[in-house]
Amino acid sequence: MSIPAEHRRTEFEGEALVHLDALYGLALRLSGGDEPRAEDLVQESVLKAYRAWDRFEAGTNCRAWLMTILRNTFINEFRQQKSRPSPVDFEQVAERPSSGALYEADPEGRIFDHIIDDQVISAIDELPVEFRVAVVLSDLEGLSYQEVAELMEIPVGTVKSRLFRARKRLQERLYEYAVEMGYVK
Amino acid sequence: MSEYRSWPPDGSRSESELSCEEALARVYEFLDGELDASQHDGVRRHLQKCRRCYPYFDFERLFLDYIHELGAAEESSPGLEDRIREVLAAQPD
Repeated sequence: MSIPAEHRRTEFEGEALVHLDALYGLALRLSGGDEPRAEDLVQESVLKAYRAWDRFEAGTNCRAWLMTILRNTFINEFRQQKSRPSPVDFEQVAERPSSGALYEADPEGRIFDHIIDDQVISAIDELPVEFRVAVVLSDLEGLSYQEVAELMEIPVGTVKSRLFRARKRLQERLYEYAVEMGYVK
Repeated sequence: MSEYRSWPPDGSRSESELSCEEALARVYEFLDGELDASQHDGVRRHLQKCRRCYPYFDFERLFLDYIHELGAAEESSPGLEDRIREVLAAQPD
């Protein structure tokens, strides 16, 4: 290996690999907790980033750049699989504005200080993929409805309705956990 | 359109008079910052007056913060960094 190539790799590793845990966190949530798939997704994304390293502008946000590459890598695969219908019939959750059982039982949201992380994470992971991806992009990554719509190639109205349904579903799961724990009745 | 904004002169309610149902229908768009300035203001003014909607919006805000905080967390995978370093080392110059 020539010296410039080795220098390039060392530089890349120094800048990029510190963000591995953030990348893996995002990959895990996008893939619904599928660890081997998330690892492959991170590896593929880091390789892409390494090949494009000359185009990365030094001094700009490396973490954001890597997260975007990972997001796009996942979305490309997701689009290819999109033609397959979701095995879960998730369209039945009411779309009327409703506060839901969790709010009725715990209007001040005290439960958010008590329910442990793993249960919330598995509630996100268990959402059907098209709902999960919308939640991850919007609620975890902070993308706008328009950005989510463009990435997922769906209308903005569909983004809204998926977010509504997914969030209400998460609240239902939290309510169930809260009842199991005896925190609410 | 803008020159007719005040038309009809009566009968149509302005954004400052949102009903609870109209405000509730916009809860997520409001919290997500997806409403335009006048719609956002309409919901905000409703919340200032409405003792029923305010706590509910606050609850949804706490919920979204909670999901964001837990879901966007870092995770570590033992062995992944070594594996990636090996793959990078094997890349052609």
